[in-house]
Amino acid sequence: MTTRRREFLQTAAAAAGALSLGAVPSPAAEPRVPNSQEPLRILILGGTGFIGPHEISYALARGHQVTIFNRGRSQPSLFPELYSRVEWLKGDRNGDFAALEGREWDAVIDNAAMIPRWVRESAGLLKDAASQYLYISTLSVYGSFPDPGMDETWPVATIDDPTAEEVNGRTYGPLKALCEQEAEKAFPDRATVVRPGLIVGPGDPTDRWTYWPVRINRGGEVLAPGDPGTLVRFIDVRDLTEWAIRLLEQQTPGVFNAVGPRSHLSIAEMLYGIRATTSDAVSFTWVDTDFLFEHDVRPWADMPAWLPPRDGYEGYGSISRDRAIAAGLSFRPLAVTATDTVDWWMSLPEERRQSPKAGLTPEREAEVLAAWDARAESDQ
Amino acid sequence: MEIALATTRREFLGTSTAAAGALGLGLHRGLLASEPPAERAGKSLNMLILGGTTYLGPYQIKYALERGHKISIFNRGRTVPTLYPELFDRVEKLKGDRENDLEALKGRVWDAVIDNSATDPKWVHDTAQLLKDSVQFYMYTSSTGVFYPYLTNGIDESTEVLLELDPDGGGASRYGVNKSLSENEVREAFPDRDIIIRPHYIIGPGDPNDRLTYWVARIAAGGEMLVPGDPDGAVQLIDVRDLTEWMIRMIEGQVTGTYIATGPASRLSTAELAYGIRSIVSNRISFTWVDTDFLIEHGIPYMVPWVAPRGDTLGMSTINPGKAIKAGLTYRPLAVTARDNLEWWNAQSEERRAKMGELPNEKEVEVLAAWHARGQ
Repeated sequence: MTTRRREFLQTAAAAAGALSLGAVPSPAAEPRVPNSQEPLRILILGGTGFIGPHEISYALARGHQVTIFNRGRSQPSLFPELYSRVEWLKGDRNGDFAALEGREWDAVIDNAAMIPRWVRESAGLLKDAASQYLYISTLSVYGSFPDPGMDETWPVATIDDPTAEEVNGRTYGPLKALCEQEAEKAFPDRATVVRPGLIVGPGDPTDRWTYWPVRINRGGEVLAPGDPGTLVRFIDVRDLTEWAIRLLEQQTPGVFNAVGPRSHLSIAEMLYGIRATTSDAVSFTWVDTDFLFEHDVRPWADMPAWLPPRDGYEGYGSISRDRAIAAGLSFRPLAVTATDTVDWWMSLPEERRQSPKAGLTPEREAEVLAAWDARAESDQ
Repeated sequence: MEIALATTRREFLGTSTAAAGALGLGLHRGLLASEPPAERAGKSLNMLILGGTTYLGPYQIKYALERGHKISIFNRGRTVPTLYPELFDRVEKLKGDRENDLEALKGRVWDAVIDNSATDPKWVHDTAQLLKDSVQFYMYTSSTGVFYPYLTNGIDESTEVLLELDPDGGGASRYGVNKSLSENEVREAFPDRDIIIRPHYIIGPGDPNDRLTYWVARIAAGGEMLVPGDPDGAVQLIDVRDLTEWMIRMIEGQVTGTYIATGPASRLSTAELAYGIRSIVSNRISFTWVDTDFLIEHGIPYMVPWVAPRGDTLGMSTINPGKAIKAGLTYRPLAVTARDNLEWWNAQSEERRAKMGELPNEKEVEVLAAWHARGQ
């Protein structure tokens, strides 16, 4: 290779690098959000996990005052610089509410409760000290999704022992439903219940949806699950949290499914939309649902966001979000969510990125693809 | 946040280009960051661009100036550039006419000439012969049209091209043969100093032909959209900036030869195109795939970049860009191309936008209705 040619290729590589999709998100770079008219005093129960930092970021940008209440054990990894601008009250939802006593807020956001007693105690304590209680619930309250077009009037799942405090796959939904009821009991007509499904985006500690943009950005042959037309539902954490703050500004009570995007999105539209954010060589191989089941590839955990429309999930992908949209829920374009998620992921330490908590490992994916390929060939 | 349509034209124009990238779509950061200027090249070159004012030229000039090169453009001086008009104060303007007036080029020396504008082999013959002793490299913007008719999949640089007019071939055939003959004029006058680039559909902001612009504007308009043919059928296209920036780097690297410049790097299906563009908006939209035969029956043999993979266009969308990629051709993500294309479109004047008409257009509505009437 001549020197000139080598230099040329280096230049080309540098030029290609310049096309990469940008740097790690920093709230400072957010376009300034217009201040809401009335600054609110907002108490967040929790506040250091996944959605709390995004709520705080937006609330501060809107000019509100934020207090957070928690045990003080987890250090926020997202936007740590924001925490010098919030009041931090220490306590424990398991019985230590001293720090909340005698205080007043305009609104409370309860991000953290999974046990009805927690909500009963905190909402009971705060019912005269705040005018609105916003509880972050979950779509799991429905238990199953048999009916396309299910909306907020669909009955929630129940549990035989409402005093149960063990949270597992079976009790999670019904307990969250009871939590909702506790909030509504303490704040009649002043409670806002928000039911997100899969919450995704920068800072997601579960690595679920993150799997897809990271996988697709790695390039090569990507295993895509089941029927390309299967509908998916998810919500960008920023769309969720920013809307939650606006629900407080507008004092909107009620129960809302908080899912996106705005209109039906198939898993093919999701994966191909994510592909649009990368320019590397990539291809998708769609592998049949039954084949995936036979090879122990699980929906959700191994193939995040994917729930084949069977066994009670027939209506999952088309669950109604009209009420939330009417109440002001808006959506970032998928390309933005995907890009920001990858940028955030790449900002994490190497060892954190080595062992993601969801999705297929490259080895497993290659194995299943090879098996699918062998089967496809033997069919011919 | 809703798409760019919410941003008024005045707001859009009143914002700096850098910020406009972030505001127009409500997209922010990351994907959305506007691109930094290119790095300066090691050595400043003198380049002559034949043409230079319409579509490729402004992007070549912008990138070349950022890289520290000096630019002369040669044309009739009739077209007022609308893309990057401010750049044209920084280039030397030579007037003439490729048909019969090359005076301004005589007695001058350049490192390279870029010929964007010729479809007539005589034009190429005349400039190439005139410049062969005063210019080191001759870059000719050819076209994958040289491969017409596209009878096989996987066409590459070794695929033969037609050099004689097919009397029954029509315009596509004439265009392809003229481009091939033009290429040969360059090869003859500049042996081993020829750089021949064969792009596919060149799309992106500024496209005078509203090709990908239709797709992005249509998808942004939302509702039920007709999408053509087999969702898995291939499409090819190249962002005007990917193409032109690479062309300048080819000259810098003195990389000669003939190169197919199609994109993207790996096969893109029509579904991946449509759904990829969908990723830049967050509106209500659904896609209805209409069968190729049905579209042809209803007078829609193409919806560029989609072209029915039949007959003379069978292999038109599976042309192999491997050689160009090895020579440094890179690609912006589709989302970036689509976003920039849409923002550019939304910033155009009402008169310019009126040329596309209302979306969805009558033809689309009519064909969709006919498709549904068939029980689809």
